[in-house]
Amino acid sequence: MSDSNPLKPGVSRRTAVKALGATLGAAAFAKAIAPLTDWAKDQSVDDFLQKHYKELDLEAKQKVFRRLEADTKEQYGADVTIHDPQAIPGTKFGYALNLSICVGCRKCAEACHVENNHDRKSNNSYIRVLEMDKGSLDLANGRANYDGPVPKKNKFYMPVQCHQCDAPPCVDVCPVEATWKEPDGIVAIDYNWCIGCRYCEAACPYHARRFNWEKPQVPTEEITPVQGYLSNRIRPQGVMEKCTFCMHRTREGRMPACLEACPTGARVFGNLLDPDSEIRWVLENKRVFVLKEEVGTKPNFFYFFDE
Amino acid sequence: MKSSVIIPIAAAGILVATTSLAYWIYQRSFVPLHGHDAHAEVAPYIPAKTHEVHLHPNAETPAVSTDLKNFKGQPVELSCANCHSTKTPNRELVDGTDLKDFHQGLTVVHGERSCLSCHDSENYDNLHLADGTSIPFSDTKRLCAQCHGPQHRDYEHGSHGGMTGYWDLSRGPRVRNTCTVCHDPHAPAYPQVMPAPFGAREPAPKHH
Amino acid sequence: MNKPASSPSEHHIPSYLQFLRKMAFLSTEGNWMFYAWMTFLSGIALVGLHAWGIQVREGMIVTHMSDHVSWGLYIANFTFMVGLAAGGVMMVIPAYLYHDHDMHDVVIVGELLAIAAIFMCIGFVVADLGRPDRVWHMIPGIGKFNFPISMLTWDVIVLNGYLLINLHICGYLLYMRFLGKKPNSKWYVPFVFISIFWAISIHTVTAFLYSGLGGRPFWNTALLAPRFLTSAFVAGPGFIIIALTIIRKVSNFHVGDGAIKILVNIMRVTILINLLMLVSEVFTEFYSGGSHTASAQYLFFGLHGFNALVPWIWTSIGLTVAATLMLLCPKVTEHPGMLITACILAFVGIWIEKGMGLIIPGFIPSTLHEIVEYLPSPTEWKVSAGIWAAGLLIYTLALRVAIPIFSGEVSLEDTHKDD
Repeated sequence: MSDSNPLKPGVSRRTAVKALGATLGAAAFAKAIAPLTDWAKDQSVDDFLQKHYKELDLEAKQKVFRRLEADTKEQYGADVTIHDPQAIPGTKFGYALNLSICVGCRKCAEACHVENNHDRKSNNSYIRVLEMDKGSLDLANGRANYDGPVPKKNKFYMPVQCHQCDAPPCVDVCPVEATWKEPDGIVAIDYNWCIGCRYCEAACPYHARRFNWEKPQVPTEEITPVQGYLSNRIRPQGVMEKCTFCMHRTREGRMPACLEACPTGARVFGNLLDPDSEIRWVLENKRVFVLKEEVGTKPNFFYFFDE
Repeated sequence: MKSSVIIPIAAAGILVATTSLAYWIYQRSFVPLHGHDAHAEVAPYIPAKTHEVHLHPNAETPAVSTDLKNFKGQPVELSCANCHSTKTPNRELVDGTDLKDFHQGLTVVHGERSCLSCHDSENYDNLHLADGTSIPFSDTKRLCAQCHGPQHRDYEHGSHGGMTGYWDLSRGPRVRNTCTVCHDPHAPAYPQVMPAPFGAREPAPKHH
Repeated sequence: MNKPASSPSEHHIPSYLQFLRKMAFLSTEGNWMFYAWMTFLSGIALVGLHAWGIQVREGMIVTHMSDHVSWGLYIANFTFMVGLAAGGVMMVIPAYLYHDHDMHDVVIVGELLAIAAIFMCIGFVVADLGRPDRVWHMIPGIGKFNFPISMLTWDVIVLNGYLLINLHICGYLLYMRFLGKKPNSKWYVPFVFISIFWAISIHTVTAFLYSGLGGRPFWNTALLAPRFLTSAFVAGPGFIIIALTIIRKVSNFHVGDGAIKILVNIMRVTILINLLMLVSEVFTEFYSGGSHTASAQYLFFGLHGFNALVPWIWTSIGLTVAATLMLLCPKVTEHPGMLITACILAFVGIWIEKGMGLIIPGFIPSTLHEIVEYLPSPTEWKVSAGIWAAGLLIYTLALRVAIPIFSGEVSLEDTHKDD
């Protein structure tokens, strides 16, 4: 079916209308993708092409860290140093929480917020403290948004954070292996590899994983300057993050920030493989339990009561 | 295509798929998911305890401050013995409600104790253990431990009482709270506090 | 029309180029209704594209998703569209396995729907990614592909594979028809049979994405994959019946009554099975009670005062029951109005059931039993509408090209006549 009548010279009306439509369409298309071109301007080629953390050699890693430090200076105005402490051979970290003396003050959540350079606007923290009724361990009877003087009568308080499980469902479901279990038990995330599909967030039974719904806002003077590549550096928009047992501290032998902030000393941390460690004493002498044991995640975060 | 060709191909395909699925399920159920136990070959890391554990703060001997200043301009403080060395110890006294001079506001909510259960009547700048041994205030933990054994045991094993510093004492020291940092000896029940507003709010308000 | 298939391969390069040229030309030809429809869809698609651009720039804070409900309208639509893509197989089976003549003539409609639907699936998944620029991380070899452990990688393989299979089948058949030649069965029939099993697999794998999560008791049920398949085989044929009816009206493509009758019969069975599965789920959840029923409680009756989804699920059930009653009427095929209405009701009912009835309640209450509700933001509606419009655009263009070629109106000879 031809669209031009051989008896009529020149371009047909239909073709002219089509050309006009195409021009308008192209203009509309350019307008539509304007936000994308805007966003693309801020992306760097090095960032785009960066390989997975496990495939970077030492030299490549140093290049990446220097670039990220420069980016942080440019975007947040802070001078930071990004380190990459490796796992101490012969360690497997465990964390225990004394439910008899936790008072629900949420100082741990606050310390986590500060140490990990969390987005200030959302008051984000990797730790969520649940106020539970005495007499029930069912999380359905707990609430996180409690307020008023604590501890309240007939309540106990249960902070929940990433349990660094031995059979982590988040690691299984990640399509690009952006999250994996390190030799010392910590489940790590390469923030520059994550594609932001949030499958791991759906898979975690403990609400431990967080997503950067927008670019984190942290005032320059409040940024923790000693940062770990896999832990508390400021994460980019659109990637997952979670508690790393403060691996930039614990791999240097220091306590995690949440433990240091706890005023009552309800938190116990250490090397599960060291028979003399405090965490081992707790596991051997207290009646410990884990959350949602029946799901089969094999957590390394243990809860116990004193009596 | 003839069915005599399709059916064997389909059967072979289903067989392959089922076998792979069965093998995969077996791997996941019975074989450790993340490879061999990496810790089996590496010796456990047991750090040497080369750094110290300090108590913070070192509980001080209490003193009463006055408005007076000495010749150097420093405030004058009176030790407990200053007044008490001239008074007769009262073994019945449990708190300050019946007192006429000093310590009137003192309320004691600490079980069935009297003042001299802990304070040493022979040296008011010290405390005493159950067997009468006089101990300085810096040793308060020993006194608390005499009655509160389980808490003391937990404290010594790191599951009671705040601390900062290093879990690995071969790399750095640790500072620990002593009992009286959190527990006022006259009213030791842990006070209520207002919780910090982190990790609790519903997600931040959205903008489009 | 049926010339021997003997051309040496050099002849294919010019004739394939002619084929592409003709397709490109055809896709911009039509009456005023066609232009209005295409302009309307293009407009919506561009609005969606713009909204997505804003989402990429500002972050996903422009959606109403949160760390509690971390998947929303995009994944709901994705799940539904995978089912629609699989629905085309309900035409392929009668056409090729049972050699139903009427169905064989129109099976291309289902296969083209599969192509458009898979493109929409890919669109929804990319729209849902926090970092769409990092999609290359999934390419095996260049990136890191966590196959076979991650079910998402299975989904990537089966969806792209299904797309390629259908592109090949449709492309080959169209090209052969265009040439006026009889298609060589060895080039497409094996792929057709593969596509039957593959269609089942795409929806099963998608269901396994959800049912494999032990931490989400609402999804962690063996019935999820069968439910997905059954609802796909309600929504798919429903959409195809509507498409066939429209095609009958706007073109002279011959759509036999037999084809529609088969699809109606299929829907009669699958819609009943779907209802039965719903009853089974409801009974299993509520008979014993306990905390694991919290999501079902929230969905059907509301929980602790939160009940945003309750009207949605009951509407869905109402629509599906109404559609069932209409479809079960023996005379429904003789009343096109009633048939179309039943198909629309079933389609909408299944859409609600997949979206509001499956994805969202999986997140409410959260794994720590907190209730944070979710309703899509304007950006999410715009992006989703844009992807729907783009999919319908692709489908319309595909049909616009395929129908003239299949009905013989357009062929290589015609293009030679034009020159």
